[in-house]
Amino acid sequence: MPGVRAYDKFHPAMSDPELVTRYNYDEFVPSKFEPWLRFDASPPLGEPAPDFPLWDLDGNSTRLSASWSRNLYTIVEFGSFT
Amino acid sequence: MNAIAERFAPHDVGSIFLYTHEAHPGEYYPHLTSMEQKLRHARALREVLSVTRPIYVDALDGACHRAYGSMPNMSWVFTRTGNPIYKSDWTDSRSVENAIEYFLEVVERRRAQERLAPFRVERLDFRRQDHKAFFEGLARNGPKAVREFREAFGDGGE
Repeated sequence: MPGVRAYDKFHPAMSDPELVTRYNYDEFVPSKFEPWLRFDASPPLGEPAPDFPLWDLDGNSTRLSASWSRNLYTIVEFGSFT
Repeated sequence: MNAIAERFAPHDVGSIFLYTHEAHPGEYYPHLTSMEQKLRHARALREVLSVTRPIYVDALDGACHRAYGSMPNMSWVFTRTGNPIYKSDWTDSRSVENAIEYFLEVVERRRAQERLAPFRVERLDFRRQDHKAFFEGLARNGPKAVREFREAFGDGGE
């Protein structure tokens, strides 16, 4: 997108620098990763789920709902290299 | 999971991979500090892990990942209207496959005019533990990732 700086393009992703730092912890130690593991507090089944902005690999903005609305069912695997 | 995606695609089942953050930051794939870096990691992951499903990237603050429980490798299944009908705190292709088979059967039963009402069920599924592959994954991130995991869990965990 000409004329738009990268951080503007991803503005919703850059809202809280302190949160960004804590979420993207720099070392795998229990005090840094355990607070994030909250599957017990995740959205319940059978009720409308929260929607969020996402980006494709070219940096184009989309939403989670754009994926789930495309098919009868949609499998979403969350992950990283490890 | 790629094979599951291919198997069920003709049945109107979509599959995506959502890149979150590095659970085990290392020298080669360190913790994330920018969206540009996050996109680079996600593109590399597509090649290195041979992910054939569409890959999307969460916000840098993990807004989506955090809202869904922040587990490092969880899986969810959504209906077209955005209702989750399956969630697992770890991804196991057999478990997901079993769930999708069941849900597709529900569609057929409804087509056959069977009256069905939803209910909630909890189930403990079992996944294969492959320590060798897991530690190879840690090593791919760098020696720091291996060292920190061993310090946290020894040679077990995962």
